[in-house]
Amino acid sequence: MNYFLLSLLLLTGTVQATQALIEFKSPEQQALFKQLTHELRCPKCQNQNIADSNAVVAVDMRNKTLELVQQGQTKQQVLDYMKSRYGDFVHYQPPLNKFTLVLWLLPALMVVGLVVLLLLRRRAERSSLAAESGAPVHGQLEQQMDQLIEQYRRKS
Amino acid sequence: MRKLAFFIPFALFIGLSVFLFSGLFSNPMERESSVLNQPLPAFALPDLQQQEKIWTPDSVKGKPFLLNVWGTWCVTCNAELAYLTELREQGVMIVGLYYQQPVDAAFGEVFDLTALQQEVALKLEQQGNPYQWNILDKDRTLIFDLGVTGAPETFLIDAQGVIRLHHIGDINPQVWQQKLAAAYQSLQE
Repeated sequence: MNYFLLSLLLLTGTVQATQALIEFKSPEQQALFKQLTHELRCPKCQNQNIADSNAVVAVDMRNKTLELVQQGQTKQQVLDYMKSRYGDFVHYQPPLNKFTLVLWLLPALMVVGLVVLLLLRRRAERSSLAAESGAPVHGQLEQQMDQLIEQYRRKS
Repeated sequence: MRKLAFFIPFALFIGLSVFLFSGLFSNPMERESSVLNQPLPAFALPDLQQQEKIWTPDSVKGKPFLLNVWGTWCVTCNAELAYLTELREQGVMIVGLYYQQPVDAAFGEVFDLTALQQEVALKLEQQGNPYQWNILDKDRTLIFDLGVTGAPETFLIDAQGVIRLHHIGDINPQVWQQKLAAAYQSLQE
């Protein structure tokens, strides 16, 4: 029985040995690699980062990222390397340029538009309220009322 | 003013509908290539059938040609072989860039060149051979530098070795007529 358990233990040992373990020179490099593989987008897949995908191109990009990080390249250098091959599509943070400008401007424009709309509406409401309780109309009604009261008082 | 305010939601709705409707017909795989109008990246890769022959950017250029990324494992690539062969018969120069899939050492897989050469030769004999020659990119280095996302993909290279067009997906009569033929013809002059 003991031998059986021991052999099982040895078996799990060999299974674990086939798992690829990546060695990093420093925790910073490890963090950078993790960050990059989560921010870089697999160009073959519709919406997966390269850490999440096992498409051949994602695996190749992961290996390349590792190689560049281990060479000591900065985040921007690795991103530029990938973008020069696979375009801006490959990074989950699109740069600000004439094609993406609308993404930044649209929310601001919507807020401005809403504020303008609210102001206009408030002004319209105020002017219509003023018109309803307008003094000239009020005075006229009062006068009519007085006349009617006077008229019926005389009758009685 | 009140009338205008009444039409704003309506206009927004129409705008959104048109935007979403046109999205139904857009191809999500289509995107701007970043290697366009750039010279071929540096490479030195062996010929698939004759390993001693090394191809470089200088030795492939001289005449406009199509660089077709393919593999025997890729179903769509096999489907386009017949039409590409037709194009070759019409005088179009096509060079193959063989996309070798990674071998998984953990599963005891090893790269067997002889078997690959036989497989490719057999495939081209059966389906037609559109290629002047095939470049073997075993580690997908040139494929990576060209920004290839998968197979099949095709590049149009001019006589100076500059990339003029990058097509993702297969080449069929429709794609050739609409996208590639005119560009290829214009390079001939």
